[in-house]
Amino acid sequence: MSQLHLSDEILMAFADGELDGPTATAMAKAMAEDPLVAKRVVEFQQSRRLARSAFSAVSLPDVPPHLRAAVSAQIEAYEGGRKPSPAADVKPLKSGWFGRRSSFVPMALAASIAAVAIGLGYFAGSWERVGAGGLMARLESPMVHNALSRSAAGQDVELPFGRLRVISTYHLANGSLCREFRLQASREAAEAVACRRDEWKTTFAVAKVVNDGDYAPSGGDDLMATYLQSIGAGEVLVGEAEARALAEANR
Amino acid sequence: MPAAIGQELVALLPRLRRFALVLCRSQPLADDLVQGACERALANADSWSPGTKFDAWMFRILRNYWIDHLRRMRTEGMAEDLSQQTQLVGDPGEGPILSRLVLSEVQRAIDHLPQEQREVLLLVCAEDLSYRETAEILGVPIGTVMSRLARARKRLMELTAAA
Repeated sequence: MSQLHLSDEILMAFADGELDGPTATAMAKAMAEDPLVAKRVVEFQQSRRLARSAFSAVSLPDVPPHLRAAVSAQIEAYEGGRKPSPAADVKPLKSGWFGRRSSFVPMALAASIAAVAIGLGYFAGSWERVGAGGLMARLESPMVHNALSRSAAGQDVELPFGRLRVISTYHLANGSLCREFRLQASREAAEAVACRRDEWKTTFAVAKVVNDGDYAPSGGDDLMATYLQSIGAGEVLVGEAEARALAEANR
Repeated sequence: MPAAIGQELVALLPRLRRFALVLCRSQPLADDLVQGACERALANADSWSPGTKFDAWMFRILRNYWIDHLRRMRTEGMAEDLSQQTQLVGDPGEGPILSRLVLSEVQRAIDHLPQEQREVLLLVCAEDLSYRETAEILGVPIGTVMSRLARARKRLMELTAAA
């Protein structure tokens, strides 16, 4: 591996899914080899979530009626009588891992997920494929949410874009229900955690490459464990307890 | 005939207003900024190409409008009625990760960041824009976006680790 200077900027870009192929591959390797590097990357993921939560809490709630009215009047003045263009016309811009998705998953997923590539089987092509609307982009799809609401752990659910299996279910101290799950297609897999208050929201995800159709656990499992520990995931809910927790959450 | 952007504009209002608050830190001023930027966008709707990102286009307009405003006002006596905007409601979706306490620590930390770091933090971490899109909105090189963003996030982690 050529020397890669592990600056904060590089680690952060990796955590944000912004690195291009060769650099991402080198970073993934560095991360797999050195837990300290992995820790720094995870910290950048955390800081993204922290910042996002802090911003969400502040000023998104209500646009003052006078502002809304003023803007509506402007729109009427400029576009009065014209049919508004359907929102579906708004397409995402070219570059940017997060940017690509954000048009159809506005605000919801992107910040909370940063793909962390682990292990040596992870190549540039796969990074790009994952970024370009692969499994990572599906984690917040309604079908995934639906499966998370219904399936017991260990049960496979076939979705058009892959197979979903919930691995484990937890309650956090604040009462949220969280589920660790795996979404797997023929050549890629994503392991993620989604938590639910009002709706499911992915809070963590790790992208993986699948070799020859076999799912191969890798160093990413440590990351997942670290993550679950960091959010204070309690005891795994099984059987009845899991079913009850799901029923409550769906109420 | 330019594309009708009214519908997108209305949908974007809360996020425009949040960006405006990050820029100017005053609610009345933020509302004025948003209104002025919307007017400017509507008047120049033909410069937006359907198929490109509407939010990035709009953020750029808003920020340029703010810069123009600063030039006019020479920034004197900028009010900081932060107290009004920090009434926390919490983000239920992210609740699992953050206690209320940590959240308010983070908000305080963000408030104390230099404005140039606050705006990249918002655009990348909350608006999910790519580094490149952010660089285009701010009119700075991508490396500048990265160094500001890394510094801001390191700072957040330091402050919250100490909390």
